[in-house]
Amino acid sequence: MKLDFEEVSVAGLAKSYGPTLALAGVDLRFEAGEATVIRGSNGSGKSTLLWLLAMLAHPTRGEIRYGRYGVSRADELRGRIGFVAHQLQLYPGLSGHENLVLAAKLQNIPYAQKRATDLCEALSLDEYWERPVRTYSRGQAQRVSIARALLHQPRLLLMDEPATGLDIKSTASFIELVEQQKRDGAIILIVTHEAQFAGAVADRVLHMDRGRIAEPHP
Amino acid sequence: MNTLRAAWLVALKDLQLEMRTKEILTSTGLFAFLVVTLGSLAFYTDPVSSPNVAPGVLWISILFCGILLIGRSWALERENDAVYGLLLAPIPRPSIYIGKTVSALILLFAIELLLVPLCLIFFQIEASGIWLPLLALVFLGSLGFVSTASLFSAVGIRTRARDLMLSVLVFPLVAPALLASAVATRELFAGASMTELIGWLRILTAFDLLFVGFGVWISRHLLSET
Repeated sequence: MKLDFEEVSVAGLAKSYGPTLALAGVDLRFEAGEATVIRGSNGSGKSTLLWLLAMLAHPTRGEIRYGRYGVSRADELRGRIGFVAHQLQLYPGLSGHENLVLAAKLQNIPYAQKRATDLCEALSLDEYWERPVRTYSRGQAQRVSIARALLHQPRLLLMDEPATGLDIKSTASFIELVEQQKRDGAIILIVTHEAQFAGAVADRVLHMDRGRIAEPHP
Repeated sequence: MNTLRAAWLVALKDLQLEMRTKEILTSTGLFAFLVVTLGSLAFYTDPVSSPNVAPGVLWISILFCGILLIGRSWALERENDAVYGLLLAPIPRPSIYIGKTVSALILLFAIELLLVPLCLIFFQIEASGIWLPLLALVFLGSLGFVSTASLFSAVGIRTRARDLMLSVLVFPLVAPALLASAVATRELFAGASMTELIGWLRILTAFDLLFVGFGVWISRHLLSET
């Protein structure tokens, strides 16, 4: 049975890499159907926050709760989290479709092949889906990465600079896709430097500075 | 998802990538051919000295091919940070280690299917009657080596000195398995029977169980944060 949660909260979340303090004690709460955009200068801790929420790193201190579940249920919670990272995390030697099928199988999605094919068609990836990812432009690979994050209909969607490389048409489709995810009740966190994109999707904008939340914007 | 199914998916992905590029099989296969050829030419052998020299050449080839192969296999995971795609999946962490070990073992075994007959031919070793114990020795020795090297490659995902670490730490650790394999192979080539080799096979099996078991256990922690 898939775990379900309506909110994600972090309390006193901190992360150090050796002597470098990347996140200096953050308290936040994210709710279903809401898109939060996180902005801030380079090295302010935005991506670290996403990596901690994706359970790809352990916090130095503090706690993350996914509804009533903690990270002790990590293996099951991962099935409810979608992550678009800055590095695309795709196998360059596999085609976009093969990358999606692999992810769908690892997510234990029934009819993995069909789900991957449907998503490729929905995101207009089908023109190039059989070519190896290494032949893709950044924008094309980015769309595959976004598709992979959506494969398993995640409850928490984390995206680090998701509009990188997307052309105007793809960005517009992506904004519509984020709106659809919000309507479906996903909790969405987006790290971006692009003000126009942030303005189009954000219900809430947070600004980070030196590992802390600097100022909340209404 | 259960660990073995997830591990099989990881292994299958590696094999699919290799079948497409044939990069690992070509480079390590050629390397193996070169080492055996040079070994047979460099050492002047006769029917008496051949059984003593051939095991060394065979296991040195396996060792270096294995290091090349495993290094390349994990390099694929670092390209584009692809390994995080696996780490984001709701699969038990040891399945990644098991999957990578299985795929590396299958590829190394494919190379050994070329390497072993070449070695027997070049060193004029009589092949009849030794195939089964030789395959058992090669399989058990390779399993011990691959399971250890895969473990250190998993650690190396977040280490800059990964290649150095792989060479410096893996060789001493797998030394007991490699020595047992080389000595048992020498005895086999010198005419020892299966009964006489049982002791070596037991040592190799024990080493394999220890390292595979330890690898599965520790990979849960090693791969939980990268």
